Amino acid sequence: MMSLLTSMRALAVRQPTGEALRCLHLTAVTDAARKGTREKARKKKVKVEVKKVGFIPHNQRDKKINVKRADKHVDDSWKQVSKDDVYVGRYYRWPVYTVAEAIQCHRETHHPSMYNVPNAPLNVEIELNMQGEKATRFVDNFQRMAMIPHKFDHGEDRKIIVFTKGNEEVQAARDAGASLVGGIELIKDITSGELLLTDYQYIIAHPNILAELVALRGLMKRKFPNPKSETLGANLAEMIVKFSNGISYSASKDEYQQNFGLITASVGTLDMDAKHLEENISYLLRDVNTARPKRDGHFITRVLLKSAPSSEQLKIDPFVYVSEFYDKNAAKVKRDAEAVEETETKQATAVAN
Amino acid sequence: MLKNICVTQFNLLKSVTSLQQQVRTTFVLKRKYDPLLHKTNQKPRRMRAKHFIYELVEDTLVKKSPNMEVVLKTFVEGVGDKGDVVSMKPNFVYNKLLLPGLATYKTPENIAKYAKTEAEKSAVKHSSPYAQRTVNMLESIVLAVIMNKDEPWVIEPWHIKASLRKAGFHCREECITLPKERIEGPDLRKENKEFNCTITINKLEQANLKCRIHHWSTDPSERLPYVLEHWKLPSEPLLDVGLPERSETPEKQA
Repeated sequence: MMSLLTSMRALAVRQPTGEALRCLHLTAVTDAARKGTREKARKKKVKVEVKKVGFIPHNQRDKKINVKRADKHVDDSWKQVSKDDVYVGRYYRWPVYTVAEAIQCHRETHHPSMYNVPNAPLNVEIELNMQGEKATRFVDNFQRMAMIPHKFDHGEDRKIIVFTKGNEEVQAARDAGASLVGGIELIKDITSGELLLTDYQYIIAHPNILAELVALRGLMKRKFPNPKSETLGANLAEMIVKFSNGISYSASKDEYQQNFGLITASVGTLDMDAKHLEENISYLLRDVNTARPKRDGHFITRVLLKSAPSSEQLKIDPFVYVSEFYDKNAAKVKRDAEAVEETETKQATAVAN
Repeated sequence: MLKNICVTQFNLLKSVTSLQQQVRTTFVLKRKYDPLLHKTNQKPRRMRAKHFIYELVEDTLVKKSPNMEVVLKTFVEGVGDKGDVVSMKPNFVYNKLLLPGLATYKTPENIAKYAKTEAEKSAVKHSSPYAQRTVNMLESIVLAVIMNKDEPWVIEPWHIKASLRKAGFHCREECITLPKERIEGPDLRKENKEFNCTITINKLEQANLKCRIHHWSTDPSERLPYVLEHWKLPSEPLLDVGLPERSETPEKQA
């Protein structure tokens, strides 16, 4: 009996000491260590920002949120090709025309006996796969100018201002059709406010005036001549011709489908020579292909020829004019050439400075 | 004991299920946790409960069954000619070809039996499996031939070809046969009047295509007022030739 009592007392006595011991372990040192790990874990966590959307009435939700949009990249390769000489188009693959055939088809519908618009503009719709090198990255919207061999009336008002020193270059630029050509005196006019740069859509410069032109960098901002956008170079006449006659086009991604890009551009009128139109199309396609991302697969997915007022869209094969797949070696060679060019222009600017 | 009592003593002829339906009950599974390895010539280790947890790899019931090959006994529209070996989805083959008796299973004997004879080859009735469908569709539409209101014209085959292309039909110029009479314009008395032309598919099948003339002006203010669903309205024949009049109210527009 006594022994049992003593053992119980021992237990009762021991308990508080055990608690005290446990308390001893919760020191500031361990707490600090844990604090550090917690901080790390907190930093690791990426904050997910929830976009606040205003209340949308239930009867409009199907139109605004739960919309099922069809893929804009149309693939009809699963359909068969007809062997008959008369067939219903919707059961078969789209016919692929050559450019000459497509132009002939448009000329038929625009003939004086039908629509009577033989000089209608020929529009090209280029569909692009805007996916970048990674599946989640996309090519940015871009705006470019394609040089074309056969000029036509594009109906736009394009004013070009050219900065250059030296009488020969000034004369050459004037002959090429620049709206205004000048040197240091022009820069002074602009800085004093007598001349407005906003009146001119395009600014071109010769490297020999680059040092003085730096004063206008703040005014020109993104329009400041640079070799990448081909507004800075020694061959002024060619650049002016390009900017006054070229096709200005812009590729824009679809609002709801990021990997679908569309370019709509006019390449000439239907009464032009079919071969000239074909050459213009080929130059445009080659220019578009320079914006290609460094990945495998198609960039240009489909090219359609359209001409108002007819609603016909005729598919042509773009891979006659540009290479179908991404060529690593060609891209590498081009990059090297670009690098060489860049160093050259840098040297030129250094010399000018 | 109870079992023995309940069993009936009569042993009559049992009804055997004569219909042996094929069922797919095969599931391909995979162990979620691999059992541990054992030494050579030793007993394998005892498996724990977790080793009997499986993951589904494949359910053969929902697997797409491959296409089936059959030999056609006769010409089947949209499928093929007599004696052709066609490969199609098994459900279609069973319900639309085997049950109606239009085809049999592909065996060397059947291929030899249903192969076309020389006499049949010479008497071609169908140029392709889809030609009849094209004929039906061409005959069901009313083709709008849009001609200019201001410039003089005479209807030529390429006008019909371009109009057909706009309506989603592709054809060659030499397939189109116009009426013998010259159709000239612009003439507003010919507006919405109907004439027939013949389309020859693969130089064999012939389709009678109904065409209606519409006048169109380049200047929007000069254009004729739009008639809603004009292809459903009856119209007068343009030419006084006794071509057979078909249905008064066609269903589709082109």
